[in-house]
This record gives sequence, structure tokens and C-alpha cells, in this order.
Amino acid sequence: MTEATDLAERAGDRDPRIGLRAVSALRRLLEQLEAVQVRSARNQGWSWQEIAAELGVSRQAVHKKYGRQ
Amino acid sequence: MFERFTKDARAVVVGAVGHAERTGAEVVDEEHILLALLDREGSRGSFALASLGAAGRRDSMERSLAEARRRGGLSRADTEALSGLGIDLSEIVSRVEEAHGVGALGSGNGGGGGRRSRRRPFAPGAKDVLTRSLRAALARHDRHIGDEHLLMALTARPGVPAEVLADHGVTYEAVTRVLYGGGEAKAG
Repeated sequence: MTEATDLAERAGDRDPRIGLRAVSALRRLLEQLEAVQVRSARNQGWSWQEIAAELGVSRQAVHKKYGRQ
Repeated sequence: MFERFTKDARAVVVGAVGHAERTGAEVVDEEHILLALLDREGSRGSFALASLGAAGRRDSMERSLAEARRRGGLSRADTEALSGLGIDLSEIVSRVEEAHGVGALGSGNGGGGGRRSRRRPFAPGAKDVLTRSLRAALARHDRHIGDEHLLMALTARPGVPAEVLADHGVTYEAVTRVLYGGGEAKAG
């Protein structure tokens, strides 16, 4: 019985909803930060190739996502 | 689905697109749906908002939406979840603003101004609100989807608009109470 309540408590600490929500929030924050940085780089005259290299993705990927600026 | 929308519900959808255009947003999101709902007069949705004392508090709601935008559109629940990971969102916001100007985080993917004449798509969250409005109508055995169902959908979907509405006394339970009397199960 004590083991069961103990387990329930620990499960509460590790509630997947909290962890998943944090991941989802972090992902959205990441998107925002990426947009800010890409915009800033473009404003400073960086090429898509240079930005892509820093982000570790293909030039096409960055251009497709942010190209219409 | 749209053929079941009432005139008021359609006006909200059209109004949401207008708000997105006016603010230079790349996509139509839930925030724009909320703003368009606040524009309505003489509808079921505006009746619910007025009954809950929220109709005259548009300024306050717009301020709350603007604050959330400044946090990159993250809700309070998101902020708390991040803080659980040891991430201080307000610290990140202030650093980004120091380097890139106030509001930099919330200015979306495009942001660079310029012409924005192409049609804006509905963001996944906004689409979800439309889908939920259908479900809310079905749950109530309402034959049409009105702007009150859009309001119900906004309050039922976790996120910034629901938090802002709740802060102004507009929750799913409160809306269904003033519209239908009594409380019933949530349509989700």
C-alpha cells in the first residue's frame, strides 16, 4: 500500500503531460528564436548558404522557410 | 463544414483574416479569431461575452494578447513548463529584445514588412478552433455553427486566447452556463 502511494507520488513528479508541454513550449520558443536570428543575419547581409551552414541544415531548407522576406 | 456556419460565424472567420492582414501576420491564428469575435455585435457570441462582463474589456484583452506575443506567443502554462526545465522565458525575452529590439520575439517568421498581399493560411491552432467549434455545436445538438461555438472552442483549447479569456471571466463553463443554463460535459 505504501509502495503504491509512493509510486503514485513519483508518477506525479514525472507526469508526462508536464514534460511534453515543456518540450512543445521549447519547440515553439526555438522557432521564434530561429526566426529572429535568421532575420538578423539577413539584415546584416548574410547569404542563405552561410545561414544554413550555421544552422546545420540545407540552404534550400532555410530559403524555403524564410525566403519570402 | 463552412456551409453550416451562421452569418455571424462567417463574419468572425472573415474578420480574423482581416485582423491578420492588418497586423501584418503571416498566418491567421487563434488570436485573430478572438479579436474578430470581440468585434461582433448582436450575435450569440457577443451576448455571451457581454453577459460575462467581458465585452467592455477589449483593451485589457488586447494588452494581454500583446504581452503574450512579446513572449513569442507562449502562454502562461508554457512559461511555467519551461521554468520547470530551468528556463527563464522572461530572461530570454529581455536578452533578445536587448539585441534585436522590443517585440522581436513575437514578430513572426516574415516580419520584415514589405508587401503582404498573398492570402494568409490558417495556422494549425486556428484550424483546430474551427474543428472544435463544429464539435461544440454537435455536442449541444445545435444544427448550425455560430460564433458562440467559436467562442466555446477558443475557451476549450489550451493556449493564449483561452488564458486571456479566462482572466476576463470567460471560461468554457461560464459560456455554456450563460448560453444554455446549467453545466454540461465539455466538448473538448
